[in-house]
Amino acid sequence: MSGGSDHVLDHPPEDGLGRLVWRLDRILRWPEDALNFIAALAIMFLMLMGVVQIVAGLRWLFNAPIFGYIDAIELSMPILAILGIAYCQRMGVHIRMDILIQNFSGRLLWLVETFAATCTFVIMIFLCFFAWNFFNDAFVIGDSTTDAELPTWPSKILVPIAFGLLVLRAFVQILGALRLALNPDLAPVGVVVQKDIAEQAQEEIREAMAGERREGPG
Amino acid sequence: MGPLFGIGYSDPVLVGIICLCLLFGLAFLGVRVAFAAAIAGFVGMVELIGFGPGASQVGTIPYAKTSLYALSVLPPFILIGFLAFHAGMTTKLFAAARAWIGWLPGGLAVATVMAQAGFAAVSGASTATAAVFSRVAIPEMLKNGYDRKLAAGVVAAGGTLATLIPPSAILVIYALIVEESVGALLLAGFLPGIVSALIYGAIIVLWARAHPEAGPAVKGYTWGDRLRSMPGVLPIFAVAFIIISAIYGGWATPTEAGALGAFVVLLVAITQGMRFRGLKDALMETARLTVMIFTLIWGIFIFVTFLNYSLVPQTFSEWLAGLPYNPYAVLFCILLGYAILGMFMDAIGMLLVTLPIFYPAVMALNGGEGVTREESAFGLTFEECSIWFGIIVVKMAEGCLITPPIGLNCFVVNGVRPDIPVMDVFRGIAIFFVADVLAIAALVFFPEIVLFLPDLMR
Repeated sequence: MSGGSDHVLDHPPEDGLGRLVWRLDRILRWPEDALNFIAALAIMFLMLMGVVQIVAGLRWLFNAPIFGYIDAIELSMPILAILGIAYCQRMGVHIRMDILIQNFSGRLLWLVETFAATCTFVIMIFLCFFAWNFFNDAFVIGDSTTDAELPTWPSKILVPIAFGLLVLRAFVQILGALRLALNPDLAPVGVVVQKDIAEQAQEEIREAMAGERREGPG
Repeated sequence: MGPLFGIGYSDPVLVGIICLCLLFGLAFLGVRVAFAAAIAGFVGMVELIGFGPGASQVGTIPYAKTSLYALSVLPPFILIGFLAFHAGMTTKLFAAARAWIGWLPGGLAVATVMAQAGFAAVSGASTATAAVFSRVAIPEMLKNGYDRKLAAGVVAAGGTLATLIPPSAILVIYALIVEESVGALLLAGFLPGIVSALIYGAIIVLWARAHPEAGPAVKGYTWGDRLRSMPGVLPIFAVAFIIISAIYGGWATPTEAGALGAFVVLLVAITQGMRFRGLKDALMETARLTVMIFTLIWGIFIFVTFLNYSLVPQTFSEWLAGLPYNPYAVLFCILLGYAILGMFMDAIGMLLVTLPIFYPAVMALNGGEGVTREESAFGLTFEECSIWFGIIVVKMAEGCLITPPIGLNCFVVNGVRPDIPVMDVFRGIAIFFVADVLAIAALVFFPEIVLFLPDLMR
């Protein structure tokens, strides 16, 4: 199960580490939001391209499908599939199994959270580095798609960018969780506050109902 | 850099088992499943083939497994679901279903199931479907004297129909993992979804006949009411027609059909008063869910790449296929395992973690690649078995949304209707478990239900 909340405090907390985490969290927010918004726009674009492709490809009408359509879609996939990864980490969207940790609280919970964030931080440093190499190879040899011969590097560079932002987000989460492990009574900053199943249900309801507000039953 | 555990390639299966334990250990300690899988896969790869070769393989996976045209079908499918709530389709569907079948014993509950099955044609989101129908259908049922356990149970259970009827994200994910045709799986889900809905309906009618006070029939709808209810549900039929006919007739790819479907729903939503704000919310939600699914996909693929080096799936397959038991008994045990796992895990996570091992094993059990129908254990060719098992497993996975202790759909119903305790929702679900067992038995023993449409396409 997954589900968490995006915790925002309007004012920095009193303690020194808290202020640092609060500030770092704020700095990361806007690039994360911006990248997720770009992903949302790309989804809109994907939808419109699909409609145009159908209409343009109609044999009795234009019979002129968009040149390089499939290549272009494949190259734009990292925009919608990967760019928002740090945003999702902040919001606690990535799936996790909370069957064990939902029983934890206080110091133990935050120690485990520190461990989890550290694991994410370490693997993402590796993956960011590997993805950078993968991009670099494509850039150096001038790799391109087979059909439309579009260069692949502008698409491949998105992966290390998104992963790099996730590394920074995971670092903030380590600090945030460590701070609460040291003193569990502080107000949480820069961490995902895990919700129980009933709160997750409330979240789902809010999302589903957003569009249904105007209607009465039957 | 040498082997981390000092085992290297001398005993790959042991490395595989150690890294499987590592994956589950990390996941239980709260590491997000995608990252836990990436860690376990990378560690295993370093152990088996060394750091350099491991690094270069792992580095390509996040890009290579996301920039696939076949996967571009996911965002439009998810978007259709989010837009559908803005298009006000649920209320109209329920009104139509009520006018047509309200006269049956338990008619309003049957109407709820049928409306949810109809809504599934524009939504793959089980939980959200349950949420909206809690508000639309439960008050109607309670007003007509329905038992509240039945009213709550039907809404929670009917929500699960969304996972089989296209557009379904989870079937696309299955197709990707097992390298089957996305179109074939989407088509294959259609009839089983309808059959499940019919079995739900039949169980409700039987139950309501035995307990007339629990679900009284609602009479008095005229043919005029029925016909007047139809225009409101036309967009749903349009979207279902676009997606099924495009895949079936090949006049558009699933991505293009999904895009056109989303566009139709968007137009309906705009006529229903959706503005920029609503569209932005739907797109942001779609982006979140898309990233979540893709992260899980590439994370798991790092692990799967390692797993294939470790020979664990092959070894497990050989062992399972060599068991001296009836293949149906072995299949039963596997499905039982899914039912238990489903009580504690999320559907997508469960499929992604288990399929790399269980899928090859079930295929081997059937007789492996190139087997003829006559020689196979289940009377199915390799491709047929692959599609058939997919539908059964996804049907099992959707069950985890209604099983205690963490059946999210039940908590959603309770969240919308705090006056109905969650225990009552779980009690109300009970008869639908019977229905699910019947539905799965039907799919296992009559694979034609699954294979009829995809076979026509081939």
